[in-house]
Parts: sequence; C-alpha cells; structure tokens
Amino acid sequence: MVELQTDQRLSGAGAATGAIQVSGVDKVFRRGQGAVPVEALRDVSLDVAPGQFVSFVGPSGCGKSTLLKLIGGLIEPTAGRITVGGREVAGPRRDVGIMFQTPVLFAWRTVLENVLLPIEICGLDRRACLEKARGILRLVGLEDRERAYPRELSGGMQQRAALSRVLVVDPPIILMDEPFGALDEFTREKMNLELLRIWGERRQTIVFVTHSIVEAVFLSDRVVVMGTRPGRVLSVLDVSLPRPRTIEMMKSPEFAATAFEIREHLGVAR
Amino acid sequence: MSSTVEGLEGEAAAQAASLTRPPLAQRLGGLLQAHPEIVLSPLSLVAILVLWEVASRAELIPPIVLPPPSRVWDGLVILFTAPWFPNQVWVTTVETVTGFVIGSAAAIVIGIVMVNLPLFRKVIYPYIVAFQVMPKVVLAPIFITWFGFGLTSKIVMAIAISFFPVVINTVVGLESVDENASLLMRSLVASRRQTFFKLAWPTALPSVFAGLKTGLTLALIGALVAEFVTAKEGLGVLVTTFSFELKVYLVFATIIVVSVLGLVLYGIMEYLDRKIVYWRRTDFTG
Repeated sequence: MVELQTDQRLSGAGAATGAIQVSGVDKVFRRGQGAVPVEALRDVSLDVAPGQFVSFVGPSGCGKSTLLKLIGGLIEPTAGRITVGGREVAGPRRDVGIMFQTPVLFAWRTVLENVLLPIEICGLDRRACLEKARGILRLVGLEDRERAYPRELSGGMQQRAALSRVLVVDPPIILMDEPFGALDEFTREKMNLELLRIWGERRQTIVFVTHSIVEAVFLSDRVVVMGTRPGRVLSVLDVSLPRPRTIEMMKSPEFAATAFEIREHLGVAR
Repeated sequence: MSSTVEGLEGEAAAQAASLTRPPLAQRLGGLLQAHPEIVLSPLSLVAILVLWEVASRAELIPPIVLPPPSRVWDGLVILFTAPWFPNQVWVTTVETVTGFVIGSAAAIVIGIVMVNLPLFRKVIYPYIVAFQVMPKVVLAPIFITWFGFGLTSKIVMAIAISFFPVVINTVVGLESVDENASLLMRSLVASRRQTFFKLAWPTALPSVFAGLKTGLTLALIGALVAEFVTAKEGLGVLVTTFSFELKVYLVFATIIVVSVLGLVLYGIMEYLDRKIVYWRRTDFTG
C-alpha cells in the first residue's frame, strides 16, 4: 500500500515530464457478431522519453493512428498496458492534447473562440485566459485573424488555429494524427518549421503520425517504423541530425541515409 | 471636433466616389445586362394579368369561373375595408403560430431525447414512421369532434402537422455531428452537457431550421384545412363561405391574403434562421 502511494506521487511528477510507455499492446476491432475481427495492432511496445519528438511512420493500415488513439485514451487496448506520465491510461486526459488530420474547428466560433474552447471545457475563466490565447495566436502567426470564422481561413491557417487550441492548455504531451497531411507541400514545410520552433520553446513530448518519411526524419528524435497485417512496430530508429533543424539539412548525407534506412525497414527500397 | 473632421472626410470620400463612378444611367444599364430577370420577372406577371383580364372581359372564360384581375382587386378592397376582416386574419394567424410553436417545441425536445436515449428511440420510432406516412389532414374531422368548433381543434391540427418535419430534422441534425469533432470533445474530457451545447446543438441548428421552415408552412395548411371542415372564424371559413355564395372574386382575394400571410410567416423564419445560424455558407453565385 505504501509503495503504491509513493508510486502515485512519483506519477504526479511523471505527468509533468510526460513520458509514454507502451508495453505488449494488442488491439483487435470486432465489428459485431459474425464479422471477422480485424487485428489492428499486435504486441506493440515502445518508450517515449519526456520532451522527445517521436514519429510513427508507415503505410495505411499499419495501425499508427490506432496506436495514437490508444495513447490518447480514446480507445482501449485489447491486451497490454499503456502509461502516460507514469499513470495508466484509462480514458482521455487533460495532460494529453490531441490534434487531428482535419482542423475540426467549429464553424460558429471565431478563431479566438475556437482556441478558447478547451478553456471553457476545463471550466477556467475565459477572460483570464484571453491574453494567453492571444499570445499563442501570435506565436502561430494568426494574431490578426482572431475574429475570423474558420471558413474564411486557408487550410494552413485552420491547422494553425487547431494547433493553438491544443497549446492553450499547455499539455505536456501532444499527439498529432497526420496534422499536415491535407496541406500542400509548401504549407506543410512551413508548418513543420513552425512546429519545431514552438516545440523548441516548450519541449512537450510530441507523438507525430505521418505517412511521409521525409517529414518524419525532419521533425523527429526517433522514428517508429510500422508495418501492416497485422499492424506492428518493425523498428525504431534514432535521428542524429542536430537541432535546430533547417531545410538545408534535407540534402545532408545523414538525412538521406536515415530516410533510406526507413525505406528499407518498410520494404519499399529494393 | 473629431466628428466634424470625420464628417468632412466622409464628404470628401463621397465626392471622390461620385467622381470615379460611372453615371447612374450607365450603372443601371450594366445591372440590367447582368440581371435581366429583375425586369423580365415582373414583366411576365404583368403580361399574364393583362392576358387574363382580356380573356375574362372577352368572356372567353365566364367571369363567374375566373373573375378578371380587376374584379379580384375589387374583392381585396372589399375585404380590407370590411370591419370583420382583421379578426379573420388574426384567428388564422393565432391558430397557425400557436400550433407551430407548441408542435415544434415538442418536436425539438422529443428529437433531443430520441438521440440521447436509444431505447426510447427504438420504442417511439415505429409510431413516428406510422404518423409520418399518414396524410394528417384526415385527422381534421376527428379533431373537430374532440376539441370543438373553436380555435383549439385548429391549433391541435397545426401541432400534429408541423411536428414531424421538425422532429425528423432535429434527429438528423443532431446525428450529423462530425466524428472527429466528437473525438475532440472526448479528448478534452468534455461532459455530455458540454458536448451537447457546444457541439451537437450548434451542428444541428441548420437542419432544425430547415424543419422549422417546413413545419411553419404546414401549420398554416393544418389550420386552414381544419377551418374548412368546421369553424366559426378564420380565412378558411371565408374561402368556403365565398365559394358557396359563388363569389369567386372574393375567394381569389382571400387566397391572395392567405398566400401573403404564409409569405410573411416564412419571411420571419428565414430572418431568424439567418440571424441565429449566422455561420451558414450563403455562397449564392448568380
């Protein structure tokens, strides 16, 4: 009993640092009686250190989004254990921010009101957090669009607003499910640089799902390479490129070597 | 001080604008070229009325069957100068609006409960479908039997007829919530109440309003049909009475009044829709 209490206190400290542990996780989807169960993930184990930027990369159907949802507590594992910040994941939590592939901004709210949504839901004082929300909009370069409605914004701006909504409650862990997948190449590169700049200031733990090898290498400290049928972890690679990252690094031999290694693990290179 | 400065600046701006703008005649010409329907649409109405008038006066059609527009105009004048007329309009309006408000309020509440309680939904759904496919006007005589010749039976008819489009649109609207938006609310650990008021209800509003607009139009139909069956007052009574008396021009005049009433009620709903569902895309290109 005493040990358990110590454990909980430790986990309190862990929540602030934001480590993620996944051990022996299986996920099987059963669509109902009679339907064939789909094995989305088999025996997945991995550790993410606090403040690390980790990407999950792999083809469609490798379960990378499923793994992200499991870590976020949006779905439950069929077997295995997931802890975030030392506490077992039992559902969605406020120390974990999630960003989706679509911006999911509410059409009836202005940019600023959308960013304030998590504040309202947590029951915090809107007015007290107004300056903070404006500061974050400044950080992502949306300070002059706070009164705009989502449909008046470009795709890139919408994702910036979505990112601001995650940042406004300062979660130590941010899960991103292909957040820039729907953007064009130029906007995507710009967003990647901005994301790194913001992460450089705050050093959250970021788990980033993508199907772009280049994006994964460019952003991450570690890349988790995943395969299909069943979804599983093929390998975990460290990216040794220095920080802060620049676009020029993309033409470095190290970058190319890491990207090629990922391709080999995915079985794409022959 | 500042206001006079602004005033001067405003004048200067107006002058500058009038200098750069093309003359009025030219602008009108441009507008007409871009939108010929502005003139053609009313012109077609005038043409129809003239043809109708001529055909009627030439006795191609007996005026008793189809009175000329000028006679219908006389009818409108008679109606609007008659001391008993405002009350008839009032009665039908009260029946329609009361029935619509009660019917749609109940529909919205039941729609919300249906979406939140699956069992309730399963139990009530067969009834909803059964009533939905039934032409509600057949209920009018029985409502008269149950609720009498007065306003109540007409209000009940308006309730019965306006209820269904609203309940169905409420359910459809509440169920059209984006899956990722629900996931977002879950990830923020939002309560059911917060998810409803901050996400589901605003998502449903455009659909609810579509139902309300249909419901209001139907409520007017319901009130009139019930008045046709038996009533002491109302525009429906005027239509049946004038028809019996073979005063077809007065029937036409009443039809015009009924149409305008429907248009006004619809206009109010449309206005509320635009005010409340301000974020709806209104990308009319034309």
